[in-house]
Amino acid sequence: MSISLAKRKIMNLRKDSFYLDVITLMVVSIVIGSLLATSISMAANSYFSKTLASLVGDYGEYDVLIQSREEMKGDTATHIQKIIEEVFPGARMKEGPTITGKTSFFIAIPEEYRTKQTYEELGKTFGGIPGGAGVGVLTEPRLTIRGVPEGARTMMMDVITQIDGVRFTFRDGSSIGVVLSSLDKATVVTEEIKKVLKQYQVIEISFPVGSEPQNPIRMGESIGDAMKSQLKLEYAKNVSIDGKNDDMTYMVSTMMELKRFLVAYASQVTITPNGSGKLVKGDTIAFTGTGPALAPGNPVDKGNVMVQITAVHTDGKGEGTITQGDAALLTNNQGYRVSNGVISDYVGTAAYQNPRQQLGTALTETTKIVDQIPGFAQDSQNLNKIATLTLDNYSNSITAMEQTLTSLKAAGTTIQTATSGLANIDTKSVQNQIDSSSRSMGGLINTLQVLKLVDSSVGGTVDNLVASQRNLSTLKSGLAALDTVAADARQAKGSIDNIVANGNNTIGTLRAFDVEGTKKNMNSINTRLNQLGQLDTPLVSGQLQYLAAAVPNLKDEEITRSVSVLDKFIAGQAIPGERIQILTTSNISTDAVAPIVYSQVGHQNVSLYSTDLGIIEPNVRGELYSVLNEVRAVLSGMTAIIVTILFLALDHTAIMTVIRCSRINKRKPVEGWRGLLRSAAAIFTGAERIYGMVIGAILITSIFVLGRSGIPYLPWIAVPLVGALIGLIVACYTEKISPMSNDEMMAGQSLGLSVDEIMREIVIPSGRPGLLQKLNQRKMKFK
Amino acid sequence: MLTIENLYKSFGKLVAVNDFNLHVKEGETAVLMGPSGCGKSTMIRMINRLIEPDSGRICVSGTEITKLDLEELRRVRKRIGFVFQQFNLIGRLTAVENVMLGLVMDGIPRDAAYDKAMEALEKVGLEKRAQHKSAEMSGGQQQRVGIARALAFEPELMLWDEPTASLDPILVREVLVIMEELAKYRASSMLVVTHEISFAIHVADRIILMDKGSIVEEGMPEDVFGNPASHIGQQYKELIEYQQITNARTLNSKNIA
Repeated sequence: MSISLAKRKIMNLRKDSFYLDVITLMVVSIVIGSLLATSISMAANSYFSKTLASLVGDYGEYDVLIQSREEMKGDTATHIQKIIEEVFPGARMKEGPTITGKTSFFIAIPEEYRTKQTYEELGKTFGGIPGGAGVGVLTEPRLTIRGVPEGARTMMMDVITQIDGVRFTFRDGSSIGVVLSSLDKATVVTEEIKKVLKQYQVIEISFPVGSEPQNPIRMGESIGDAMKSQLKLEYAKNVSIDGKNDDMTYMVSTMMELKRFLVAYASQVTITPNGSGKLVKGDTIAFTGTGPALAPGNPVDKGNVMVQITAVHTDGKGEGTITQGDAALLTNNQGYRVSNGVISDYVGTAAYQNPRQQLGTALTETTKIVDQIPGFAQDSQNLNKIATLTLDNYSNSITAMEQTLTSLKAAGTTIQTATSGLANIDTKSVQNQIDSSSRSMGGLINTLQVLKLVDSSVGGTVDNLVASQRNLSTLKSGLAALDTVAADARQAKGSIDNIVANGNNTIGTLRAFDVEGTKKNMNSINTRLNQLGQLDTPLVSGQLQYLAAAVPNLKDEEITRSVSVLDKFIAGQAIPGERIQILTTSNISTDAVAPIVYSQVGHQNVSLYSTDLGIIEPNVRGELYSVLNEVRAVLSGMTAIIVTILFLALDHTAIMTVIRCSRINKRKPVEGWRGLLRSAAAIFTGAERIYGMVIGAILITSIFVLGRSGIPYLPWIAVPLVGALIGLIVACYTEKISPMSNDEMMAGQSLGLSVDEIMREIVIPSGRPGLLQKLNQRKMKFK
Repeated sequence: MLTIENLYKSFGKLVAVNDFNLHVKEGETAVLMGPSGCGKSTMIRMINRLIEPDSGRICVSGTEITKLDLEELRRVRKRIGFVFQQFNLIGRLTAVENVMLGLVMDGIPRDAAYDKAMEALEKVGLEKRAQHKSAEMSGGQQQRVGIARALAFEPELMLWDEPTASLDPILVREVLVIMEELAKYRASSMLVVTHEISFAIHVADRIILMDKGSIVEEGMPEDVFGNPASHIGQQYKELIEYQQITNARTLNSKNIA
């Protein structure tokens, strides 16, 4: 059934049917609509593009924009011409429009001068132009990256320069300019830069008022270092130098350190109020100093010492800094409140701490020590020489001792032999040998006594040697009596054996002592002592003495004024004390960084945020062209909508009316809720409504596609829906737009006319004049 | 010629034609009468399916119209002339073009169609108004063009749907004269829906009275109006009598003879 129906439809199409007329109409409508939409949009685009080009030149035509005050434009032009002839031979200048009192000059720089250096020095090159109000870059194709913190710009520029398609990068104010090799690389380079930007993040650490670090730059650096070491990050750098050059930032940093130093050495005055007095932060208290005695009602004198209360403790005591005079002048510690430059009531007594005085004393003491250094070094070197000499003798003494013990052993053997024949004993020879041994031992003892000064461990050995020497003396005495006391010979032999045994033990111990190692250490000590001796101690001493004398001379009044001046300068520089920026890789969260920050700043009263490293700034001219393109697309889109409405209203309402009449005629009345339901459903399902929606959707979509139309915030998928909506609205009012005579159609039916014939001869000619009527005239038999 | 059996049509709950049966012989002129809204126009328009019947059977010269597809129906419609109450002329066409339209669309050469159309217009006395558009003609003339258009095909069956209802009494006459002539001198059958009692009395071979979608009485005019069997017939009889009396009195009193 459906196949035969389809066949019949095809047959109808083959014939010269009205369906074909509608298809032809659609094709012609789409072509005309597209041409119209394209023509209007192209005309508008052409007009705007020409206007834009006449204002700022064609895309990439100019490189530099210089603005100057309108009244100076003559001088400006002359000056610019002179500069470009000197600096950029072959460059070309064009005077642009004057807007709000500023005249624009466009300069096209020859290709060979389009370099990083040229762009970074544009400000310098054109800085002296009379009436100059600004220098800008126009070179295309170019991208601009903004928001990159100052501290990260160099790194970013290095990375971006490596990207294929980038000709060079340059500093463009607080942004990074990226000049491309060709326009078709713009998309790729943009994507690559986005990738690079995504690899990094800037962690911002914000401090509320009162919790700012003393030196945010140093603090940022230590946080960065801590992040690198604790989180094992490849990259974590303090970039809290937003909008400033490094030199200025570090100068401010130095000033902050200087301020800290001065504040640390300013005298701190503590005022204990009298019974009724009450101190308030900000009060100024006067002390006599070198001025006249204070009395209520008198004006403040230059010789008075003035203290400003900076804090009041819970016990009522106030702390303050000296704003006039010096703490050293606080001999009279009776303080009076100052009100409007006049001495007022007595408030209490003051005590003070002068860190400069303490520093001066410490420096004086240090000078004394420094003065002692050359003598100390010389003495130590002498001692070192003696110790080294002693060590040299040490080995010889041990060898001599070994020989002595060998002799003693031989003596013992002799004594043993003599025991059996004392008469044969040569006691004299033995005594001589003993004497010799005793002398050798005495020499060794002396040596060891010296060595004992260096190494106390040889003390025991010395004692043993002394004991041995005494034994030798005893032996000698024994030998003296040998002739008479043969029996004592055996005792002597035993003593000798003891002496030899003790001596061998002692030698073993002495041999264990590292003489060479000790000598090496002694040499090292000697070298250092030598270096110490070479120090320019008079200079150090002189400087210390100068400092010791100078520091107390620094008056509190001067410190307070200096701090005030430093504060003004630091505040004027607006160093971001309440914010630290750390550039790091994007693979770390602020949660991971937070503990490190808390640890470094010493409290948790900070907020951490992660921000992008930078963003690619839309190219103004590119954006302008893009906007123009959008305007063109919007115009085309609006034309498409208008044309669709016109085509629907003029050509299709007649058809829709016929369809509607046919539907209404065939419809059987239904009452009640079913009737209401059917009426509601018919809004969307009525044949003429469906026809309108389909035709509207096809028309507008086709014209949109062919006319490259577009409407902001309207996605492509919604375009057919808009067309369908227009078609539906037109279908709802079809009878009002194109009323049809039902009687005429009925007459046609009664005459046996086909639907096609009724449409061509009755409906279409009676409808609204439009494209369909024009096309229909070819087929009409009664024109 | 025309046979209608068990014809039924409703519009929702409203039954317009109910179990309608009728046979019109060849050459017969049948006049369908009845009160307004009784279903006369619906019934006559169902004959050539300008209105589709819900059920029943309609045969014209043996062709069962109710079973035809659109193409076949178109051919049969050319054999059935239809004259509308509102004339239903194509406003943008002249009188002759209105008459020619069906002919040309049927494939008749334009010249031949023109001749035929002019001939039809002559029959209704409008050959001199052939090039006028409907807006330039009176109602009677427009209706005569409508009649010429129906006659141009030389139809086997002429259907008249209250052709004088939209005309003032003077214009009614010129239409009725033509209708009377057609009824007398043509061989085609005619089914006329009208309220014109005098026309019915003079021209009708048979009167069919209809009420509430059904035939209530039919017969020769003298029977239906002289000795009515139905309430509707009785009303028509009384109306005829009243008109006769009133007309006579009026004419006498005003000395109009």
